[in-house]
Amino acid sequence: MTNSKQTTKTTYQLPIGPIHPALKEPVMFEFEIEGERIIDADVILGHVHRAIEWTGMRRNPIQIIYLAERICGICSFVHPFAFVRAVENAVDIEVPERADYLRVVHGELERICSHMLWAGVAAHEIGFDSVLFLTWEMREKALDLTEFLTGNRITKGIMTIGGIRRDITKEHLPKINETLKYLKDNFEKLRKVFLDDKTFIMRSKNCGILTYDDALKLCAVGPTTRASGVKKDVRVDQAYAAYSDLDIKHMTPDILTGEVNGDVYDRIIVRLLEVKQSIELIEQAIDQIPAGDLMSEPKIPKLLNYIKKTPGEGIGRDEAPRGEVIHYVKFDGEHEQPYTWKVRASTYNNILPWIPMLKGEQIADIPIVAASTDPCMSCTNRVTVIEKNKKHILNKEELHQLSVKKSRRLMK
Amino acid sequence: MTKEKPKKEKEKLDAEGLVKYFKDEFKTKIKSSEIKKRKTGAKKKEFINIWMKIDKSIFKKAIKHLCDYQFPHLAVVSGNDLGKTIELIYHFSIDFGGRLEEISLNIAVEIPKNKPEIETICDYIPGALITEREKQEMLGVKVIGIPDDRRIFLPDDFPKDIYPWRKDEKGMEKYIRNLHEVKKNDKQ
Amino acid sequence: MKLSMLPQVLSQMFKKPWTNQFPAKYTPNNTTQFLKDVEAGKAKIKPPIETPKGFRGKIKYDKEKCIGCKLCIRVCPCEAIEFKEKEKKIKIYVARCCFCSQCNDVCPTKCLSMGDEFLLADTDKHSKNLIVE
Repeated sequence: MTNSKQTTKTTYQLPIGPIHPALKEPVMFEFEIEGERIIDADVILGHVHRAIEWTGMRRNPIQIIYLAERICGICSFVHPFAFVRAVENAVDIEVPERADYLRVVHGELERICSHMLWAGVAAHEIGFDSVLFLTWEMREKALDLTEFLTGNRITKGIMTIGGIRRDITKEHLPKINETLKYLKDNFEKLRKVFLDDKTFIMRSKNCGILTYDDALKLCAVGPTTRASGVKKDVRVDQAYAAYSDLDIKHMTPDILTGEVNGDVYDRIIVRLLEVKQSIELIEQAIDQIPAGDLMSEPKIPKLLNYIKKTPGEGIGRDEAPRGEVIHYVKFDGEHEQPYTWKVRASTYNNILPWIPMLKGEQIADIPIVAASTDPCMSCTNRVTVIEKNKKHILNKEELHQLSVKKSRRLMK
Repeated sequence: MTKEKPKKEKEKLDAEGLVKYFKDEFKTKIKSSEIKKRKTGAKKKEFINIWMKIDKSIFKKAIKHLCDYQFPHLAVVSGNDLGKTIELIYHFSIDFGGRLEEISLNIAVEIPKNKPEIETICDYIPGALITEREKQEMLGVKVIGIPDDRRIFLPDDFPKDIYPWRKDEKGMEKYIRNLHEVKKNDKQ
Repeated sequence: MKLSMLPQVLSQMFKKPWTNQFPAKYTPNNTTQFLKDVEAGKAKIKPPIETPKGFRGKIKYDKEKCIGCKLCIRVCPCEAIEFKEKEKKIKIYVARCCFCSQCNDVCPTKCLSMGDEFLLADTDKHSKNLIVE
């Protein structure tokens, strides 16, 4: 090693992934590291490719709705929603007004559940396990409400082409109001823990910065890009479902603090503000909901025959908790299976921004920076550190301990 | 012209104005354009989709023309296999930031199957890297000038000449087991 | 500051846990032995929380009303329904079912409905409990 007269310092490669505790998606990173600082990063994908689009091109549109629901467990309302919008735009099916408002209610409820889950995971990465249990207890109440309204906690199964399958009646209203009141009362507790706590501020300020220019050029989406100051939100920019009638605006960090930095702390602020906004949107939607039908065509064989005869192509865009989701569908007018179906989930646009965010950071910050963009899938075990000729294998607990130890050091 | 004025004072074009902006520059190379408007919600606000088909020879200049107006947001590139040609559709959206002002712009380019090549747009829009790599491996399109040539979603030992989205002999038909037959034996 | 979670943690020490302790307070060492004890009357299972109305559990099939139109087979996303040619009735494999209830909506005579059974784990996917006909 250092026996020769002139010693040279070189960087070494650290592969992280494909399966890793901090990343909820099986993604492989390769970092070039000098000491504890990251010099360069590279991202390799493809580990959970399930050929969903190819499978979908062989099924009729009603079956594809349930296939689209299982693309992602947390975004299980937005994928069927975007697909159904694409089909409605392609073959010109009108949606009744009551269905538009009900779709808003379910979409916002899912956004609350997803942001609560993210808040717990982010706290766990920093080392604050008691906050994890606090946020997930709040999430359980929201999931109970989902089960009451739709029949299941996660895969809701209430979307159909031309409307929605289940209604919200007067009997459901007391429970909805009770859950919203509980969430509003506890929101202040959550805000104090996340934004005023010294540990959170020290770990997350000036960490993982994404500048305005980078966010614009790399086409980032969702809270990741709103935290850097770029105002992109499909609900505000384009008219879809009933959002065009409700009072909604872009959530950027300067609403709360007055300045925009683009670091992890700003992303926490944006997500907490969005939870508050979702609660208000649900209340507005339930107040203004008009009476009417639920579906424009309740008889399904008639609907499928209509789709079989009409050629056309269309896109459907939607705002998931993580960003923009877009589906493209093309029908050729002879079969009921679509000719082409293209899905683009929101995390794919948020992967390229990881590279400028991670340059210059320390290894112990990788979990919190990667988790702050909220990548969308499940997580587990090992990391291999190759140091010259020796191989150490860090398992899940050890990497997590690195992150927790840094918190303890900062707290002293 | 508008190029001398600073960016803030550029006027926003509506859908017809945008189509005219392209047609003035490229005239007949724009093969067709269609504006679709649909209404939604109780107050019946509308959203606008523009579908344009352009010729392959002016593709890169058209993208630069769009970036001069306003830096767009590239959502994704989708592809169709149409028999003798492959059609690539670039889904952009512009005029974000306001309230209900955004326009979705979809630009379709057709390339022949015996020479499937297209230029990259990564030098104008760096965020297009992942979606261009996906088209290379799924449809067999060669993107000229792409900074990173590796496969992105398919594994490295996947056979080289098979493109999953194609519907001709280079598609996936030989490589799947018919799962229905397996299911029948299982059930009985 | 550092103590922002401390009041919450202290108050939690005196409250009952929010989790419903189903089936027993502590995990039994031997699950099959536990089930035998329950049958013999030596141990009791705490019941799960009631499912809400409209919960999508195991499917229920009314054989008399079925007319054999095969619409449910056309829309099932999991291909969990099989047609019995001679009798013109259907057979549903619950092991493949994804509980979407789309077949309920499509049926013209409304002979299918979702029950509220959800404890369906089994070692054999074609056992009597998991086939409805």
